[in-house]
Amino acid sequence: MLLTLLSHQWKANYRSSVFQKGLVLNIIMGLLILYFGAIFLVLGLALHKLLGKVVPGESAVAVLNGVLLYYFLSDLFFRFLLQELPVLAVQPYLHLPIPKSRLIHFVLLKSVPSVFNLIFLLIFVPFMVSAVVPAYGAGAALAWLFAIIGLTFLNNFLLIYFKRQLSTKPILTLLFGVAVAGLILLDYLGVFSLYTLSQSVFGTVLQYPVLAMVPVLLVAGAYLLNYRFLKAHTYPEELTVRQQTKVEGERLAFLGRFGELGKLIELELKLIWRHKRPKSLLTMSVFFLFYGLIFYRNEAYLDGFGMLIFVGIVMTGMPIFNYGQFVPSWQSNHFDAILTRRISPYQFYAAKFWIFVPVATLAYMLTLPYGLISYKIILINTATLLYNIGVNVFIIFFFSVYNTTRLDLSKGSAFNWQGVGASRFVMMLPMMVLPILLYLPFKFLGVPFMGIAAIGLVGLSGFVLQKQLLQWSAGWFLKHKYKLATGFREQ
Amino acid sequence: MLEVKNIEKIYSGKMAVNIPELSLAAGEAVGLVGNNGAGKTTLFRMILDLIRPSKGEVYSKGLNVAQSEDWKAYTGSHLDEGFLIDYLTAEEYFKFIGDLHGLSEGDITERLLPFMDLFNDEILNQRKYIRDFSKGNQKKIGIAAAVLSNPELLILDEPFANLDPSSQIRLKNLLRNLRTQKQMTMFISSHDLSHVIEVCERIMILEKGQLVQDMQTNENTLRELESYFTV
Repeated sequence: MLLTLLSHQWKANYRSSVFQKGLVLNIIMGLLILYFGAIFLVLGLALHKLLGKVVPGESAVAVLNGVLLYYFLSDLFFRFLLQELPVLAVQPYLHLPIPKSRLIHFVLLKSVPSVFNLIFLLIFVPFMVSAVVPAYGAGAALAWLFAIIGLTFLNNFLLIYFKRQLSTKPILTLLFGVAVAGLILLDYLGVFSLYTLSQSVFGTVLQYPVLAMVPVLLVAGAYLLNYRFLKAHTYPEELTVRQQTKVEGERLAFLGRFGELGKLIELELKLIWRHKRPKSLLTMSVFFLFYGLIFYRNEAYLDGFGMLIFVGIVMTGMPIFNYGQFVPSWQSNHFDAILTRRISPYQFYAAKFWIFVPVATLAYMLTLPYGLISYKIILINTATLLYNIGVNVFIIFFFSVYNTTRLDLSKGSAFNWQGVGASRFVMMLPMMVLPILLYLPFKFLGVPFMGIAAIGLVGLSGFVLQKQLLQWSAGWFLKHKYKLATGFREQ
Repeated sequence: MLEVKNIEKIYSGKMAVNIPELSLAAGEAVGLVGNNGAGKTTLFRMILDLIRPSKGEVYSKGLNVAQSEDWKAYTGSHLDEGFLIDYLTAEEYFKFIGDLHGLSEGDITERLLPFMDLFNDEILNQRKYIRDFSKGNQKKIGIAAAVLSNPELLILDEPFANLDPSSQIRLKNLLRNLRTQKQMTMFISSHDLSHVIEVCERIMILEKGQLVQDMQTNENTLRELESYFTV
């Protein structure tokens, strides 16, 4: 029976319309998996020497042991953000003569062979062979690996249990992240060292391999906890993460006073606010504001311009890119209504434009503090902001007519490839590369600041000509509306 | 056969279903009628243990459906598309249900024979997944799958909805044949008053979650129902 259920699961995946339609996407996904797999593998092979160089005093195994508890805590945090609950499709089975307990075991076991649980093996196994086995012998090394696998599975089952309980309160996830960061800070300040604790914990496992049984017992406990909970709650309405029935976003109604455009903006904002996918996309965009922390710390980048332009485009434009890549698929569920009601395509696009402009400006203002590092950053970000709202918005509108796949708005956006087409990747190129091409001739003439000004000016002229450009977008949209409508009607 | 005791379901402070007493004898065919939101589907879901009642219990052959799973072996049901495994083809789905009840390929073909008229050559050998069928054809697949195991108790939610007129008549005859040949107990909800009267010998009216009438079908029933629902 478990095998039948597994085969159904497999069919559900490879027969899903997303998988069957997007061959290009599957190839890209495959390459990405190979790429990250290779990175992890290389990291695993080199970790032994790498740790020896970074922390010369201690043995590589001791250093790794020290960070393991941090690793598991942050693993748990990222799982909260990214891992989907196996709420599964048990519904079609509940009325059939299959014992509930078997369905629950299936749901729980199904969560084990996921990328989250397996990819780490690519790091730890090579490290175990190259570093742990020579120092402690094969038996102790295997026990050590066993303990790590056990703790990973423990995280897996803890997440399933707690995410279901906490999913209504995203703030708790954030608090958890802050707590982990706080622990790192305490370690840094020398108040409390999780590092030494972690070292002694995993060091003891290496000395007494029998202790590897402790994580196994913990996993069994977590599994049992989940099993008990699910057994008592096998009702679809209790299994699924509680949906909010409360009506939200009513206070946006004031926008309706600004005529048709205002009404469309209100509609779009409600769409964002009341669906999981657009909401989580926007939350993810917030993380890109920290992009600067990675690049601006590097002196080599700060001296040049090219990289800073790229970072500026990304930071001031990420919310637009993220949301814009699915225009007009966001409306795919009611696209026929959009076409048959009295909504002019010009207003339809103008509404999106006037959402993008304030959002990009807000992102820009949030990046202003980076100006403390160098005034150049403010200049460049101003230029890239203008470029984003004057040029990139219309590049998005140009490519929007190629987004012909329907979107399910109730799914989260992490690892959700539904509706992601090849056009998205093509679209990114002109958006990122054009401003740099604009800047390059001025660089070779020796006047880089003029190049920045050129980017800003091109953006500004696009912004000034918005009426004409929007009219053009609307005409472009009208030419392609039948193709869009047909695509959206397909499930 | 089926007994509902003091059942209540409350959704955010509102009483969706409140039935103190309801029972179906073995072999009886009962029709459930009522306007939208009367609680028909909610009642069926509680009978099938798909939602937890706020209060009360449902007993099938004397056993509480929330505690024992024995009822699943002799109960066939189809409420909505959620009952279908929509990424399978119709044949694969029938095979899966057949396997659960230990039926061979031959048994399945034989038991589907009475459905051939209803299927109208649009269901089998189509090389498409259930999710790609029209609503009406999905309904036919669901009903056939529910009947496949020769259940003692058959529960259907609006079986006539989404079907074309010929299919409605074929389905009606099919259900009547199942009654006379296999003495199946049936609990069927419907908005189509004349069809449900022809299939069922007993009609219940549900209004705002309450059972307001429970009557045996006779030649006057249709008129009575029509006058009841004429506002």
